[in-house]
Amino acid sequence: MKKFLLILLVLTVGFQGSLLAQTKTVTGTVTGGDDGLAIPGVNVTVKGTSRGIPTGLDGKFSLQASSDETLVFSFVGYITQEVLVGNQTTINITLQPDFAELDEVVVVGYGTQERKEITSSVASLAPEDFNTGNIPNPTQLLQGKVAGLSITRPGGDPNGGFNIRLRGVSTFGANSEPLIVLDGVPGADLNNVDPNDIASIDVLKDGSAAAIYGARGSSGVILITTTKGSTKDGVTSISMNNFVSIDRIMDRVDVLSPQEFVARGGNDLGHQTDWMDEVSQTGVSFANNVSLAGSFGNTSYRGSVNYRKNNGIIKGVGNERINTRLNLSHNAINDRLRLNMNLSMTNRDYTARNNSLFRYAKIYNPTAPVYSRENLEQFGPYFQRNLFDFFNPEALRRQQLFGGSAKTLFTSYRAEFDVLDNLTASLQYTQDRLQDINGGYWSRQDIQRGFGGGGIANRSTNENLKEIITGTLNYTTDLTDDLKLTALLGFERQQRSFQGFGAEVRQFLFDSQKWNNLGAGAIRLGANTNLYSYKNEDILNSSFARANFTYKNAYFFSASVRAESFSGFGENEKTGYFPAFSAGAELADIADMGIFNSLKVRVSYGITGNLPPSATLALPVLGNGNRVDLDGDPLTTNDIFVGLNQFQNPNPTLKWETKKEFDIGVDFAILDGKITGTVDYYRRNVEDLIFNVGVPIGAANPFDPGNFNTAGSTWVNLADLESGGFEFIASVNNISIGSVSWTPTLNFTIYDKTQIASLTAGEGLGFDFIRPNGTTPGSPGQNNNPIIENRVGSTLGNFWGPRFLGVDENNEWVLSAGLDELDQFEIVGNALPDADFGFQNTFTMGNWNLNFLLRGSVGHDLYNSYRGFYENQDPASNTWNSVVTDKTPGVVSTPTFSSLFVEDASFIRLDNLQLGYNIPTNSEWLTKLNVYFAAQNLFVITNYEGVDPEVRYTDAQNGDGFTSALSPGIERRDIFFPTTTLTLGVNVNIK
Amino acid sequence: MLKLNKRLSFLAALVFIATACTEPDQEIFDAFTPEQLANSNNPVLTDVLKASAYQRIIGTWGGHNSLWSMHEVSSDEMVIAHKGADWEDGGMWIRTHRHEYGANEDAINNSWVYLYSAIGDINLLILQFPEVEALTAELRSLRALVYLWIIDSFGNAPIITETSADATPPNNTRQELFTFIESSILDNIDKLSTDNTKTTVNKWVAHAILAKLYLNAEVYIGSERYADAKTHIDAIINSGQFSLTNNFFANFATQNDGSPENIFTIPYDENNAGGFNLVQMTLHYSSQASFDLQEQPWNGYASLEEFYNSFEDGDSRKRSFLVGPQFASDGTRLVDASFEADDPDGAPLTFTPEINELRPNSLRQAGARVGKFEYASGSPSNMSNDFPIFRYGDVLLMKAEAEWKLGNNGVALDFMNLVRKRAGAEPLSSIDADILLAERGREMFAEGYRRSDMIRLGAFNDAWWEKPASDPSKNIYPIPTAQMNANPNLEQNPGYN
Repeated sequence: MKKFLLILLVLTVGFQGSLLAQTKTVTGTVTGGDDGLAIPGVNVTVKGTSRGIPTGLDGKFSLQASSDETLVFSFVGYITQEVLVGNQTTINITLQPDFAELDEVVVVGYGTQERKEITSSVASLAPEDFNTGNIPNPTQLLQGKVAGLSITRPGGDPNGGFNIRLRGVSTFGANSEPLIVLDGVPGADLNNVDPNDIASIDVLKDGSAAAIYGARGSSGVILITTTKGSTKDGVTSISMNNFVSIDRIMDRVDVLSPQEFVARGGNDLGHQTDWMDEVSQTGVSFANNVSLAGSFGNTSYRGSVNYRKNNGIIKGVGNERINTRLNLSHNAINDRLRLNMNLSMTNRDYTARNNSLFRYAKIYNPTAPVYSRENLEQFGPYFQRNLFDFFNPEALRRQQLFGGSAKTLFTSYRAEFDVLDNLTASLQYTQDRLQDINGGYWSRQDIQRGFGGGGIANRSTNENLKEIITGTLNYTTDLTDDLKLTALLGFERQQRSFQGFGAEVRQFLFDSQKWNNLGAGAIRLGANTNLYSYKNEDILNSSFARANFTYKNAYFFSASVRAESFSGFGENEKTGYFPAFSAGAELADIADMGIFNSLKVRVSYGITGNLPPSATLALPVLGNGNRVDLDGDPLTTNDIFVGLNQFQNPNPTLKWETKKEFDIGVDFAILDGKITGTVDYYRRNVEDLIFNVGVPIGAANPFDPGNFNTAGSTWVNLADLESGGFEFIASVNNISIGSVSWTPTLNFTIYDKTQIASLTAGEGLGFDFIRPNGTTPGSPGQNNNPIIENRVGSTLGNFWGPRFLGVDENNEWVLSAGLDELDQFEIVGNALPDADFGFQNTFTMGNWNLNFLLRGSVGHDLYNSYRGFYENQDPASNTWNSVVTDKTPGVVSTPTFSSLFVEDASFIRLDNLQLGYNIPTNSEWLTKLNVYFAAQNLFVITNYEGVDPEVRYTDAQNGDGFTSALSPGIERRDIFFPTTTLTLGVNVNIK
Repeated sequence: MLKLNKRLSFLAALVFIATACTEPDQEIFDAFTPEQLANSNNPVLTDVLKASAYQRIIGTWGGHNSLWSMHEVSSDEMVIAHKGADWEDGGMWIRTHRHEYGANEDAINNSWVYLYSAIGDINLLILQFPEVEALTAELRSLRALVYLWIIDSFGNAPIITETSADATPPNNTRQELFTFIESSILDNIDKLSTDNTKTTVNKWVAHAILAKLYLNAEVYIGSERYADAKTHIDAIINSGQFSLTNNFFANFATQNDGSPENIFTIPYDENNAGGFNLVQMTLHYSSQASFDLQEQPWNGYASLEEFYNSFEDGDSRKRSFLVGPQFASDGTRLVDASFEADDPDGAPLTFTPEINELRPNSLRQAGARVGKFEYASGSPSNMSNDFPIFRYGDVLLMKAEAEWKLGNNGVALDFMNLVRKRAGAEPLSSIDADILLAERGREMFAEGYRRSDMIRLGAFNDAWWEKPASDPSKNIYPIPTAQMNANPNLEQNPGYN
């Protein structure tokens, strides 16, 4: 690839002389109409060609053009100007600022709108706003950029996903992440789209904007639009983006050195091993992207190939992804019929290791050797000790292997037809398919699991299929000269199916076949074996309508309603209605607003819904019980069957969870657009939150007469939640400091944290509080004490336990309450942030540009589990290494939870830094040659002494995805350590 | 042609709109619906459903954090000491040992859930097959067995039958529970099978349920019913169906299902019916090599030294404990690589009956371990040994107790010495509550009856090692907080808040 680029460069430079004959030199200076200062970096191009040059630091340019050609001057934030060269040789241009970037087109649900007409809270980002660096996941492009949008990935697992929360925690039921709509397809899989293929991202933040997505819009909506083909006839443009990056571990947890460990009384095994070094590495990753866009006749196309290889900081953890996308559009019948096909295919191979590798690397005895011959036959060439929770990290890394691949196939076909000039019908059909196959292997010599089973291997495969068919009618008309109407009517059917199977067997002769030959496993029944398959399906039928009114192009009103019918609710509760209203006025167009060039005030109200986590909660279904041997004689097998038990209490009265959201906002531009911004205040109330509540087990099921509660909890419409917030974002555009142009953008959100208004389900059911069972710190010794309490009338995610008072003369700690004195426990922290902020800075100077983003969260606490288990110098610390912090009180008590381990985790992070240089070219072919250096997560400033101060919205360890949202703020010991990423990249555009 | 296309597309659009506006039905692909069950003509379905109801009582009886755990650790025969942070678990096992348990203990809630999920399933099944008399009789008797555990553990708890419609039923009194259990058996015993399956509730199991109920009547309802107890004990003994095994430990072997001593067992199976995890719960981490276990044990449950010493040396039942040096399956001495500096036994793994302290730093090797049940070589965490609920050896001691209570000390001694003789112990010549309790301790160790025996024979509130004298209110468990929260009509047992 590099060679190719070099040849290309040589060719380009070589040919340009001959191509540019017949021309003269045109020079000039470009200044800004707002301040009269020179503007560097303005694109000066010759219209209809790809020749062009940016202005220099002094705003000057010089290029070759002939008299009949037209020069185009364009710069972000200014109105583009065109000038015919004629007989001029000097052309001085004054560019007028364009406040009305506000006039951009915004993608909203089932259509687009002028930015000006938007009366709800919508944030839009284009590629120039995106974060750069090694970014495999599209949501990461937005991290820190949108007020109220929190995108976090605690730790640095390259195989891990991101947590996305819009406006904090909207629900602790299912679907607490925003709905992703990819090219009009709701619920699409993000793995289907490569960041290189994204043309714009629009975030529907408030209830009225999201309500057009009804049941699935409660946690907000993120609309991703991929890049389409060029409309210019015959022009083919090729774009290539390549980078290489390195990941280095960001290790914020100190443990004792071997010497310190021995001096402190630790078991001396006579060696010195840095276990983190043994298992970790500097990860080298790279990505190549090529896209091709153009058109012929009425057909335009864009195709792209994206290849990414990510190597994590644990040796053997990484992935390799290839993604292909084709957008094909064809217009017919005088452009009245528009056809579009959108295909995307992704294959992702991954390898992974035991999640707890870092934890064992931190706490394994630092004087133990890595290798030993003493248990060669049993455990292989590794040093091992048969102790509780004590595993040689390097052996664990080598003897437990996980991997697999996932394939996604996204196919979408869309037809639009202008029935009348102002009436357009559309029909879109989409299949979004994910197939994965996974394997796991525990060696015969793996002390943790494989040894006991004689080697254990499993395979599993899953197929998720979404089929969506959408039809809309769009109608626009001028009701009077001043009053315009845009109306939308639509229908949608979404069918989701999930199926798969898996098997696990054990006892192998060899390790080398891993999961590739399950037939070689001798034992297929009983412990450490498994065989299963499953299939679920659900259907969501919807119809929706929306009307937008524009009066005198200054007053705007919008109303919409969506009706949703979900197969998974009870017979009388299937359909829900989700209305929304919003209104706004552009005051600057109504009266003279002084320094305000734009001042739009808007207010909105909308109701959205939320689907239950499973589609069968209303039905009295039975599941697989234990195997039963009817005659009790294991030698006769024709009377063995799998038993049937009812494992869930059906609730046919289960109905829609709703969220009502009120939003008032102002969009403004002042001082000729020098300063632009948006302010929003919102309140949201969640009602009838779908959750499982403890019921009297064994008693009659009040929701399903004649049935009995055979499970301890029933899914009901339980809770009411209230939350709110204030969002602010403002930019000062193109501040000139000498030849440098600086655009700072600050956004922040102040949260009115989620309050629990009620936990009542009717029928006498309900709680005063929920202390999720799984929120105990864990083993060893801390299995039975929940540390989070969610109480009615209080904030979601409160840490709850004894307060640390001090240390007595025996170095035992003094706590405010005993372990069982629950009535004396106190609220000792809260896991949710008071505020999030992002501070983006863009500097341009000639061909140079520099961006950096500082991002942070304030006011959230985290439970530091490394300290919570490994800081104390109790007898166990002779075996395990200890975590050392300046908070260590030298305590010898056995570790138990108290306020001591709940730390303020407010932080500010240099999330993203990029320095780029546009290498000037005069080539006709080579229109862009940009090299950049990017750094991600360069530093973090915080008082938190754990691994990563990022907000935890869910509990990573709590396998149940529904209660995990009720236990935020816990940093588990098996967190993958975060990384600092340095990237060197080159972007090339060729026409 | 164009017109036709237009019409067709218009029609298609209408069809699509109509579909999109209907309320979709929910299809079930991988679970089973009541209609499917009702319409099935598979002849074994009823048997499978009945066996499935039994699976609820297989559940967690022999696992950690279970009813068994509570019964054992609250008695004087078992303890879970803190090994530093290990086993601290919020202090609940110390509280259980010291009779300081409250309504928040996980194991107590687990026990409730275990018992009442069985009640729910049994009631569902009775409703499903109301006309099959033998089946409903058996299910009602099985339900009575579950209520026997409930009356013993929780005292005052709701009686829920297949006709109950109350979603939040209040507690019944212990007297009401007693009457309910009694009538459930008396009304159905004649319809029960006499097949000696040992794993289903037959006539003999029904007699055993009543025998236990009447023997404990003084505790449950404050009136003596020893004569009734004797009647039902005699019915079992005189049936000729059961006899003592020569080898005591044959009752606890991995393949113990054929033991003539079994009256009713929970047929645990490593493949079919998991939940009996004693091997993990009691053995030391390093003991994995002794039995080539599939998983590393947890080093938790051990016996108290005083209890261990209540076994005479000549009593073969003393092998119910694992004590002394421990060896791998290949005969090499096991080593605890992380032994404490102050452990007198040093690195080689040695179980000592003495436990240095209950908390915070019990030595990891301290305490006699449960060795009564056979640990199969290569066992997974789920053992295959059937767990005895009613065993003939127990019935003989119950006979002794009933006769002693009725004043027939000679008969009582005869039956007690039958059991002792089988164990190779010298016959005893006198009997009182303490002697009987000690004998029951030796015979019934780790079978989950110690707490009940101590309460009945008046020793449960005494002081013992690391446990002060306790209040009689501790003789029933509290109603778990989670259940009180879920059901506002439940009243807490006296002495708890």
